[in-house]
Amino acid sequence: MDVVVCLKQVVDPELPVRDFAVDPGTQRQVREGRPLVISTYDENALEVALQLKDASGARVRVLTLGPQQAVSEAIRLALAMGADEAVVVDDPRAPELSGPEKARTLAAAIRRIGPADLILTGCESADWADRVVAPLLAEDLGAACVTFVSRIERWDGAPVVRRLVEDGHHLVEVRLPAVLSVTSDDSNRPRLPKVKDIMAAKRKPVHAWSPADLTRSSASDPGAGVEVRGVVVPERTSRCEFLTGEPADQVAALAQRLRDQKLL
Amino acid sequence: MPDILVVATAPEGTLSRSSLELVAGAHAICGPLGLGVTAVLLGTGPGLVNAPQALHQHGVARVLRVDHPLLTAGESDAYLRAIEQVARTERPEVVLISADTMGRDLAVRLAWRLGAALVTECFELTSDNGAVVARRQVYGGRAVASMAVTRRPAVFSMKPRSLDAPAPSPVAGTVEDLTVELEPGDLPTRVREVLREQSDVGLEDAQVVIGGGRGIGGPEGFAQLGELASALGGAVGASRPPADSGWVPLSWQVGQTGKTIRPALYVAVGISGATQHVAGVSGSRMIVAINRDPEAPIFSVAHLGIVADFREIVPPLIAKVKELRGL
Amino acid sequence: MAVLLSDEHRMIQAMVREFATRELLPIAADLDQHSQFPREAVERAADLGLLGMTVPEDYGGAGMDPLAYVVAQEELARACAGFQTIVTVNNSLVCEPILRWGSEAQKQRYLPDLASGRRLGCYCLTEPSAGSDAMSLRTTAALRDGQWRLSGTKVFVTNGAEADLCLVYARSEPEAGARGLSAFLVEKSFPGLSVGKIEKKLGIRCSSTTEIVLDDCRVPGENLLGERGQGGRIALATLDGGRIGIAAQALGIARACLEETAAYVQQRQQFGKAIGEFQAVRWALADMATRLEAARLLTYRAAALRGGGRPCTREAATAKLFASETAMWAAHKAVQLFGGYGYTQDYPVERYFRDAKITEIYEGTSEIQRLVISRHLLARS
Repeated sequence: MDVVVCLKQVVDPELPVRDFAVDPGTQRQVREGRPLVISTYDENALEVALQLKDASGARVRVLTLGPQQAVSEAIRLALAMGADEAVVVDDPRAPELSGPEKARTLAAAIRRIGPADLILTGCESADWADRVVAPLLAEDLGAACVTFVSRIERWDGAPVVRRLVEDGHHLVEVRLPAVLSVTSDDSNRPRLPKVKDIMAAKRKPVHAWSPADLTRSSASDPGAGVEVRGVVVPERTSRCEFLTGEPADQVAALAQRLRDQKLL
Repeated sequence: MPDILVVATAPEGTLSRSSLELVAGAHAICGPLGLGVTAVLLGTGPGLVNAPQALHQHGVARVLRVDHPLLTAGESDAYLRAIEQVARTERPEVVLISADTMGRDLAVRLAWRLGAALVTECFELTSDNGAVVARRQVYGGRAVASMAVTRRPAVFSMKPRSLDAPAPSPVAGTVEDLTVELEPGDLPTRVREVLREQSDVGLEDAQVVIGGGRGIGGPEGFAQLGELASALGGAVGASRPPADSGWVPLSWQVGQTGKTIRPALYVAVGISGATQHVAGVSGSRMIVAINRDPEAPIFSVAHLGIVADFREIVPPLIAKVKELRGL
Repeated sequence: MAVLLSDEHRMIQAMVREFATRELLPIAADLDQHSQFPREAVERAADLGLLGMTVPEDYGGAGMDPLAYVVAQEELARACAGFQTIVTVNNSLVCEPILRWGSEAQKQRYLPDLASGRRLGCYCLTEPSAGSDAMSLRTTAALRDGQWRLSGTKVFVTNGAEADLCLVYARSEPEAGARGLSAFLVEKSFPGLSVGKIEKKLGIRCSSTTEIVLDDCRVPGENLLGERGQGGRIALATLDGGRIGIAAQALGIARACLEETAAYVQQRQQFGKAIGEFQAVRWALADMATRLEAARLLTYRAAALRGGGRPCTREAATAKLFASETAMWAAHKAVQLFGGYGYTQDYPVERYFRDAKITEIYEGTSEIQRLVISRHLLARS
C-alpha cells in the first residue's frame, strides 16, 4: 500500500502569548525567530501511516510545502520517525497561501508523486484551522474523503476507519483511493524517534520540487473572491483580575465573586 | 428571488439547534443583501414530518424537504450528493452549513463542486456593501480573521454554538418535497456502525464546566475536579493533553471536533490555554483560570485568575462551595 | 548552546526531553518515595537506544558521540536523577570499557544485550576498605585450570540488584596498587556471586545500590577484560567517561532546581507581591543560571575532547567537580527560596537536594577530582 502524509510546519502553538504577533502586511502570524514544529494533528496522521507500515509494509512518503530550509527540520523528524521518503515543494510564499491554494499545489504534487492509496493529513492545522485541505484534496484527486479519523480499523479488503463524531464514533467503510484527515487518539500518539533512526534519517531521500514544475488543476477555486480583510488580536474589553494572597484568601475571594455573579 | 440556502437537519424528529443557529446567521445578512431565505431539510423517516414547522416558527417561509433512506446519521457522501443536486436546481447565492461532524467536510466539497467561494468555521456573519463578511478564530483562538466574500455563489460553514438561536417570528410557510437521485453504489464511503458514548451531564449543555489540562498531572487530579463540578452542579471537561494521555475519556475534550461550549461559568484548571481549547470555551460568560504559570495564555482570556498550584486551591474551594451551598 | 549542537544533537535532545517529560516526570516522586526500580521506563529507554548510546551500530548501539550522550543524560536527570544513574552506569561504566578493552568475542557477546536492555550492567570496584583509595582493593582473583576464582566483597554497586553483568576488579597479580589488578566480566549467573545488602539511601532512591559478594566465584578464562594487570588502567580510563556522565547528571539536577524555582517565585506572594520581584531572589536565580551554563560548557568541552579521541582526564574531572558542586549549591538555594514549602515533599526541590549530594561523592569525590586536576597542573610546571 502507498501512503502519502501531508505535513505542515507551523509556528509552535504553545508559544508564550508575548511572542505572538500578526504581521499587518501579510495578514499572517509573524514567523521570524519563532520555533517551528510539525502541526499537531499532522503528527498523529504520520503516526497512523507508520502504524500501517509496521503492520502491512506500506510505503510512507511525506509531503510538505514551504521554503525548503524552513521545513527541513520537520522533514528530518518525519524521516526519523520512520517515513521512507520526503518531497518538499519549495515555495517561499507558502506561509501566505490560502488553504485552497495550498491544497491545489499539494494535489498537483501528489499526482506527480504517483498513485497513492491513502493520503493522510491532520484534521486541522494548528494555525489557520480552516479544515479545508483534506476535503479539497479529495475533490481535486477524485478520491473518497473521511475527516476526523482516529484510527484505521481494517486496511485489507474494504478498508474501515473509525471517525470521531460529537457523541462517539462511526465505523466507516471507505473505497480507495481515499483522503483521511486524522484527529488525535490514544492509539495514535506520535512515536518518539529512536536515536539510531535520528541518525539514519540523514540517508533517506528528500526530493525538492519547484511549484513551477507542478500542474495545478483549474477545476475550481474556492479561495477566489475571498479576501482577508484583517487578522486582529481582539481588544480585551476586560482584563484578567488576579486574586492574590494566601490560598485561603484567594478561595474566599473567588467564592464571593461567584456569588456576586449568581453562579453560586 | 435569489436566496440564502440554509442546510437543516432534524435528527430524531426535532429540528437541530445548529439549524436554528444557521437561520439566525441567514437573517443577519439577508436584508442588506436583498436575499430571501430558504431551508433545505434533509434526512429520512417520520421525524421529518413536523420539523418544517420549527423553521416556519422562526421566520423561514420556504422549506424544501428531502426524505431519502440513505440520508442516515453520518452518511456524508449521501448528504453531499443530495445537497449538491438541490443547490444546482435552486442556484442559491449563499449556502449556510453547520460545521458539525458532517458539515465540516461537506461544506468544503460542496463549494468545490459548485465552483463556489468558501469560508469555513465562522462564528459570525455580517454584510458590507454587498460583500458577506465572515469572522473566524485563528491561531488557537488568539486572533480573529475577517474574510470578505464578493463572489457568488458562496458557501459558509458556521461553528456550532457560535450564533444564538433566533427569536421566534412565525410566518405562514410552505413545504416542498424534493426527490434526489441517490443509489448506494454512488457512495464511496458508508457508515457501517454507530458507536455511542454516554456522558452523564451533557458537557455541551452544562451551565458550569470545570476544565482540566496537562497541569492536572493524572487521572487522580480529575477526580478532584469532578468533586468541584458536582458541588457546583456542573460537568468536567478537558483540554487535549489529558484526553490524549488517557486520563479522561475523549468525549470530555473541549476545543476541537466542533465541541464548543458556552457555559455560564468555566473554570480552567492547569490549562495553559495555548491551543484550540481556548477557541472552544471563549464564549463562556465567566472564565476563571487557575494555573501555576503567571504567563500562561489562559490568563489573557480569563476574567478572574489565580496563580497557584491547583492542589492548594481546589480542595479548599470545594469545601467553601459546599459550605455556601449548605451541602 | 545552539552553536555547539548539530541538528542531530538537537533532535536527540528534543526526543529525550519528550520521553523524560512523558514517562519520567509523572513518576519520579513515587519512585523516590518507594525506592522502586523503574523497570518499564528502563525498557522504553532501551528501545529508544538510550542504554547503549555510544555503542556502534554494528553492536546494536546507537552510534552516538559523547556530546549527544551528555545532552541526553542531562534531559533524563532533569526529570529523574535516579533513573539517569541507572542509565549512565550501563553506558559509561560497562558498555564503554567493553568497547575499548574487550575482545571481539566479548563485544559480540555482551554489547548487543547491554544496548538493547536485555542485560543491565553494573560496576564493581569499591570495597569496604577501598573507596577513594580504590587501587588498594583486596578482592582476589586466582587462575586455576583456565578458570578464574574471585573472592571478596564489593560495595555501593549501582544496579547491583537488577544487573545481569558485573564488571569486577580484583587483584590477580602479586604487585600492590593499580598494577596488580585485572578486570573481569562476571555474569550474575556464574556460581559464587550473590547480591548482599541493599543500601537505603539519602537520594537517587529508585536506583539500587548493593553489596556484591564473590565467594570463590567461577569466571571463565575468556571473561578477563583486557590483559592481566591492566585492571588499574582500565578503571582509571573508564572513570573519565563516567565522570562526564555524572557531570551531565548534575546539569540536569541544577536545571531542575532553576526551572522549578523560577516558576515558584513568580507565583509565591509575600509582602504584597511575588517574591520573584525581590532583588535578592532575582540575583539568586541569575547565579543559578550562570553557574549552570558554565558547568554545561565545561561538560560539553570534556565530551567534545573525548569524542575527538583526545585525552580528557583533567577536563572530565573539572567538569564533574564544577557541575556537582553547582548542583548541590543550586539545590540548597532552591530549598531556601521555596522556604517552608521547600522542606516538604509537596514540592520536588527537597528531592533534588537529596539527589544532588551524591554527585559530589561517587565516581570520585570532589576531593579526588581536585587531586586529579592539581596533579595535571603541577606536572606541567
